[in-house]
Amino acid sequence: MKPMMSEPEPQQTLSPIRKGGDPSTPPPEVVIEVDGVHFHYVKGRDILRGVSMEIRKGEVTAFIGPSGCGKTTLLRCFNRMNDLIPTAGISKGQIRILGTDIHHPKVDAIELRKHVGMVFQKYNPFPKSIYENVAYGLRIQGVRDRTKLDEAVEESLRSAGLWEEVKDRLDASGLGLSGGQQQRLCIARTIAVRPKIILMDEPCSALDPISTATVEELITRLKKEFTIVIVTHNMQQATRVSDRTAFFYLGELIEMDKTTTIFNNPAKRQTEDYISGRFG
Amino acid sequence: MSESDSAVNADSPTTPAPSFRGRGFRVFGLGWQDAIRYFFGGNASLAIILVLLICFFLIREGALFFPSHQRGLQDYRHAGQEFVDAVGEPIDAHTAFFSSANIAYFAEINESSREEDDLLRVARAVLANTEAACRKNWNLLKRKLGEVQEMDRALAGLDAADPARSDLAAKRETRLAEIAALRTILSSEVEAALAGPKVWKLGSDGRHLSSEDRERIREAVLFQASPDAKEEHPWLAGVGERSREKKKTAAAEFAAFKETLQGIQTAIRPMRTLHGELKKAASANRAAINRYQTAPARRAAMLEGAKKAQDPAEQARFQAEADQIVVEAPDLVAMNAPFYAAVPKQAELSAALLAEMRELREALPEKGSNARSRKALERSETLFDRFADTVDRSQRKAAKWRHERSVSAISSFTSFVFGKQWITNSSWHDFYGLLPLLTGSLLIAGIALAVCVPFSVAAAIYVNQLASRREQNFVKPAIEFIEAIPSVVLGFFGIVVFGEALRALSQVEWLSWVPGFPMNERLTILNAGLLLAFMAAPTIFTLVEDALENVPSALTENSLAMGASKLQTVFRVIVPASVSGLIAAILLGFGRIVGETMVVLLVAGNKIKIPDFSEGLGAIAQPAHTMTGIIAQELPEVDSGSLHWRALFIVGLVLFIIALAVNYAAQQVLKRFQRI
Repeated sequence: MKPMMSEPEPQQTLSPIRKGGDPSTPPPEVVIEVDGVHFHYVKGRDILRGVSMEIRKGEVTAFIGPSGCGKTTLLRCFNRMNDLIPTAGISKGQIRILGTDIHHPKVDAIELRKHVGMVFQKYNPFPKSIYENVAYGLRIQGVRDRTKLDEAVEESLRSAGLWEEVKDRLDASGLGLSGGQQQRLCIARTIAVRPKIILMDEPCSALDPISTATVEELITRLKKEFTIVIVTHNMQQATRVSDRTAFFYLGELIEMDKTTTIFNNPAKRQTEDYISGRFG
Repeated sequence: MSESDSAVNADSPTTPAPSFRGRGFRVFGLGWQDAIRYFFGGNASLAIILVLLICFFLIREGALFFPSHQRGLQDYRHAGQEFVDAVGEPIDAHTAFFSSANIAYFAEINESSREEDDLLRVARAVLANTEAACRKNWNLLKRKLGEVQEMDRALAGLDAADPARSDLAAKRETRLAEIAALRTILSSEVEAALAGPKVWKLGSDGRHLSSEDRERIREAVLFQASPDAKEEHPWLAGVGERSREKKKTAAAEFAAFKETLQGIQTAIRPMRTLHGELKKAASANRAAINRYQTAPARRAAMLEGAKKAQDPAEQARFQAEADQIVVEAPDLVAMNAPFYAAVPKQAELSAALLAEMRELREALPEKGSNARSRKALERSETLFDRFADTVDRSQRKAAKWRHERSVSAISSFTSFVFGKQWITNSSWHDFYGLLPLLTGSLLIAGIALAVCVPFSVAAAIYVNQLASRREQNFVKPAIEFIEAIPSVVLGFFGIVVFGEALRALSQVEWLSWVPGFPMNERLTILNAGLLLAFMAAPTIFTLVEDALENVPSALTENSLAMGASKLQTVFRVIVPASVSGLIAAILLGFGRIVGETMVVLLVAGNKIKIPDFSEGLGAIAQPAHTMTGIIAQELPEVDSGSLHWRALFIVGLVLFIIALAVNYAAQQVLKRFQRI
């Protein structure tokens, strides 16, 4: 998992991940830069082949493409979840988040993940109470102050639009909620630690249409505060929630542009074929 | 509709409509599928039937225990044995008090010559060690010296002119040279043995010897570790003499103490005599009762013999014997008269004994001069209080005692469950009290769990969550292999290796804070508990590992994505998520431990006595017997249907109930944890 491009130090000026943020430097507009990334799960078989893109602050970026095209893989590169697979790694290229090469040996994946949160396809609250689920991220960062935790829990649940539904039963198990509520609980859990970026891996694929609508509305609200990257199979969802869309095919980024452009006037033939349902 | 119909018909116009009947071998309308189904179903139900049968027989045999036990207790009362035991209670309490005071006395005497005794002990140990190191050359030297002496004798017998003489003289010279060489070797060997660091550690009792003392001991050993030594080294002899002198002085100093002790010993004598007399009478009573109870059966047997006998003379003999068997009920009132008569005497003796003992206790020294005697005296204080209480209680019991009072079924039950004695095959009376066995079993299980759970849970967490694949592949089979060790082999190991090692370990000084250390016994509760911990480890390990394995990996992923470290994930998400499995594993491990028989039978020491908790947890250094062990040990040797046999069944039933309770508790715990 060493970067191929040998860079002695991650750029010092823009490294809020390692230094905990520098208020004097205004954050760059581009929060994620992907630079010619080749990625493999097993050595010699690249899943991503030379992907380059920029993801901008305060926008919702949607990744679309047929199954196995590498969109989820790329998403999981952003918070180094692929580290869990021993043989996987980036063979070429670089990913910079807020200006820092995240695969630099001095970057700690645990610190990175505190700034790059993730919401999974299958909602999976911890088998704890609703309160403890949301407070988890803060607790592992060592926050013990009860009032601080209370505030953070309430604020996160409010942001996730769940507060009114659960405020009377914060001590009940998180597993007792409905599917849509559980997914929003997971989102609340993620935003409780105030990450810079939230990665969403098909967050609505296990939900019914009504819950999906709630979550989508939530995403639209959250983009004021967070940069969101969402992987989706649902083209309508991409048009509804995203500002920019990236279309992947067979491990390559075919096209990335404003969502309206991609869906109304795509530059590439493959994109048009895909969004019009001719394949995929 | 018609279109599809025609399509089917068009496809195969000539084949007949399928009958949908099953094909293949069938008996009475049952096919293979059914046969296999019933086969497995039958096996399963057989298991259930067996379990039910086990329950049924345990309960049937067990339930019959209580009525017979009640009858036994009734006989115990009718014969006056209960009275006698009540009278005897103060005697045991007195013995305990006396021996504690006695320990204090000898601690005082030995303390006076402690320095000398220490020196002697070290010197003897060093000498023994040195001798052991040089034994071979030592013996060689002795033999050669003997040969030279013989030669000397032979030479004296020979003429000066004898040609053999010069030969012999030459031989003698070589022998002497050899001896000289051997002496050098030997002295260097002695030096080497003395220099060995191990030697000086022996028995120094925590106190370091002064360098002078070491030098003197060295000298003494060098002096004595030579074949020429005829007597003890004068310094060492002096030390021994001094020790004896000091003891004598101390004995004179503590003469009053000794006198008090003798007084204590004599004070109990009248009570002992009374108890002895009564005991004889009660024994005779019990024998009479037993004779009466077995009379009909014996008589019937004789009559049966008479009927079967061919020879009329023999028939007459059987008949006569049968007639001799008394079937008259013994006169309980007459039998118990001596006991009622003894009540006033007992009261009188008790009062006198108590008064005398109070005086004697006052005469005991207030405080010991050293730690051991102080401790023994403190202990004898409490033991005296206990003695005084016992005297009171025994007197009240004796005064209230009535032989005709009937024993209730409840007391049959309580004297089993809360009985402190398990005495069988006794010529006096058999006591069936569960407590010694129950405490033994629970103590051993407690130790085993306390040791085993942290280790196996930690091992499971490590192997499942933190270890690399290669480590997993090595550690898991290794731990699971323990399960394959037969428990009898483990017990053997416990006796031969582990017990000895544990005792040696317990002598190490900086471990003396461990309760029960240093231990005198090899076969103890602690030993059995540790071995059982080892045995139960794979059970708990495997179950906990499974429980951890069953936690969805998505939870791990979620936690890591929140920025948690691996350890935080393990302890905050994975372990809490698998807590129900964890508790189930621990309870199942407990079941395994309580039910284990072979190891405890071999290693626990099999002493049927409630451990002495006067030193708190130090009781674990004592031997004990267990519920499983007693069944395995005694069941093969008792008559089926006897009271003893039934008592063992009831112990089995108690084990069964414990298992049920543990299982029930496990399920309740699981339910509670599953809610969150």
